[in-house]
Amino acid sequence: MTSIGTGYDLSASTYSPDGRIFQVEYANKAVENSGTAIGLKVKDGIVLAVEKLVHSKLLVPGANRRIQTIDRHIGLATAGLLADGRHLSNRARDEAANYRETYNAPPPLKAVADRLGLYVQAYTLYSSVRPFGISTILGTVDEDGPGLFVVEPSGIFYGYNGAAVGKGKQLAKTELEKLDLSQLSLREAVIEAARIIYLVHEDTREKEFELEMSWIGPETNNTHLPVPQDLLEEAETKAKEQFEFEDDAA
Amino acid sequence: MDHIDFNRLKTGEVNLGTSIMAVQFDGGVVIGADSRTTTGSYIANRVTDKLTHVHDRIYCCRSGSAADTQAVADIVHYSLQMYSQAAGKPPSVHTAAAIFQKLCYENKDALSAGIIVAGWDDSVGPSVYNIPLGGGLFRQPWAIGGSGSTYVYGYCDATYKEGWGRDETVNFVKNTLSLAMSRDGSSGGVIRMCVITKDNVERLFVPGNELPKFWEGHEVLGAAPKLGKVVPDVVPMAVE
Amino acid sequence: MFRNTYDSDNTVFSPQGRLHQVEYALEAVKQGSAAIGLRSKTHAVLLALKRSTGELASYQQKMFRIDDHVGIAIAGLTSDARVLSNFMRQQAMSSKMVFNRPIPVNRLVSSIADKAQVNTQEYGRRPYGVGFLVIGQDNSGPHLYEFSPSGNSYEYYAMSIGARSQSAKTYLEKHYEKFADCSFEDLVRHGLHALRETLQQDKELNVNNTSIGIIGPKSEHEKSETPGGAFRILENEAVEPFLQTMRSKEELKEEERQALDASKAEEATGTAAPAADDDVQMSG
Repeated sequence: MTSIGTGYDLSASTYSPDGRIFQVEYANKAVENSGTAIGLKVKDGIVLAVEKLVHSKLLVPGANRRIQTIDRHIGLATAGLLADGRHLSNRARDEAANYRETYNAPPPLKAVADRLGLYVQAYTLYSSVRPFGISTILGTVDEDGPGLFVVEPSGIFYGYNGAAVGKGKQLAKTELEKLDLSQLSLREAVIEAARIIYLVHEDTREKEFELEMSWIGPETNNTHLPVPQDLLEEAETKAKEQFEFEDDAA
Repeated sequence: MDHIDFNRLKTGEVNLGTSIMAVQFDGGVVIGADSRTTTGSYIANRVTDKLTHVHDRIYCCRSGSAADTQAVADIVHYSLQMYSQAAGKPPSVHTAAAIFQKLCYENKDALSAGIIVAGWDDSVGPSVYNIPLGGGLFRQPWAIGGSGSTYVYGYCDATYKEGWGRDETVNFVKNTLSLAMSRDGSSGGVIRMCVITKDNVERLFVPGNELPKFWEGHEVLGAAPKLGKVVPDVVPMAVE
Repeated sequence: MFRNTYDSDNTVFSPQGRLHQVEYALEAVKQGSAAIGLRSKTHAVLLALKRSTGELASYQQKMFRIDDHVGIAIAGLTSDARVLSNFMRQQAMSSKMVFNRPIPVNRLVSSIADKAQVNTQEYGRRPYGVGFLVIGQDNSGPHLYEFSPSGNSYEYYAMSIGARSQSAKTYLEKHYEKFADCSFEDLVRHGLHALRETLQQDKELNVNNTSIGIIGPKSEHEKSETPGGAFRILENEAVEPFLQTMRSKEELKEEERQALDASKAEEATGTAAPAADDDVQMSG
């Protein structure tokens, strides 16, 4: 890489001669080192799913969550440095609470994403801080219906129908593009999300992992909740089946 | 201090010793106010406009200190512009009312402001919010405020009906304000009204010599006239 | 003077997206003597190896009480640990005053993790140089957490930190499935066995160098009782009866060999239980 050794890549407050900010690009590398997270937006809700890499078998399954609730109707999943993810989710909660205080109404996701984008961007300006080493998927069902956004380390954010961040994002995006998201039911989306996470994991051949999923939709009264155990198990069983068929075909 | 300083006004401060009102009906809201502004016993402005625009379809009726309520309305006006730019859509009446409330509550020790917020929005249609002196927030089908309102609560309670159309609501507002203005020394002048609907905001004006008249005593009018005949038609304001 | 260009402060990502200063802070944890934590359905236990700088010096403090329901064992810079444990105590007291209830253990651990995260992102402060094992109990039973200077925290069945902790981890990974239903005395014994793995060749666990932190009902080996099984630290002669329960490494090997033979014999006769049970699927 041309950036190394030039001295232009040691601080977020330094441009390279061709106008790049390498520290932000390196922050994206931190995102790509972590387990994949995806989000699906269908007509009546959203599903978030993360591939939680299990670095030790001594970990208590289900205890170390990577999907967080920001407001009753907003969920957040991160890929990248875990501790940064918690920092940002705390900030997101503060922003959501502040919106409620000001407008006496639940915050639309766009407002939260907008404010988080501003916050993350501020960490790309100064040499006294480093950028956030995370990409963040935000999901909601608010007054405008389902919404899905991704906030990147640069502070930029986009709205999506299907979003993927982390190590397996390329493959996950390819899989998401194959889906007709506007026609999927929320339960079908849960099954698909699980399938994609399993597929992506199989592809990277990483260590053990745990699937964590949450959803927002009519069945949750439009609040952000973990996918119920029975549906999670059904989705995982189906996700594992895809490999059996592949084996048969081969 | 040996007297009750009701509005906590400074000596010489301009006061909207007022009669204001807002009523929702099926297609919109009607808001109205008298036009008197006083400094003690002196009428500083006899054609005041107390119906203040804060967004395309959201207005407020101001009572209390003229300076305070103008400042608050200005801040809300600014906030709503910022909001509509960021959200990409007009604010709801509730949003506007919530901002008014935050300002009125958090500065309650410094302000003398009783405000009624009313308008039309996409999510609930017409709505009326009352924000009285302490900074509370109450959604109501109709609200009255200002010093004159105390004289007409009974009239409103006895008269208001759900399901009115535009014209009945305009008459209700006009009659109520006229009654309040005739009893309250700090209210008077002309009646200004706005009809806010999905499509537009229509301003109405009733000159001081055409106010609806009610029983005022035999000495003044001779025989008591029938109510309906005396009430003149509403005249849209030509020039303001 | 630096090992590479990207490790001079914690506001610099390496081209691979790593934070070298944070990784070095994790090394500081490994400089400290080992601490072990494990839990059963009824108890959570901490064990730590105390160092002393010499004959005339006292042994270092490895465990701190945070509240009735929470205690920690540390590895790394003791002074950093004192700052963080003080903060934890304040959080715990604040929860008692404001909500009139003990603070949930995960929230307490998250509060220091969030504090530590800031030191990995801003210039002018180094990351903390200490790792914690935190045990606590709340209405969902006993818990064990690890906190590390990177700002991460995880919940574990069993964990070890500090010098040579990998050896202890190997022991714990081998035996952790038994811990849930262990008796309290067996749980401590497993902990001591794991702790022993971190010793240098010629060293032994003794009443001077071993601390035990406990949450849960009283053991037969304990003289006094804390109400509600509150956190207590056993040191010196109080540790002795627990040390007595330890088996030598040779004994353990022998036991293991016998168990293996027995299962082989069972397998031969076809009465063995399905082996799938001991292969834990974290994904399941």
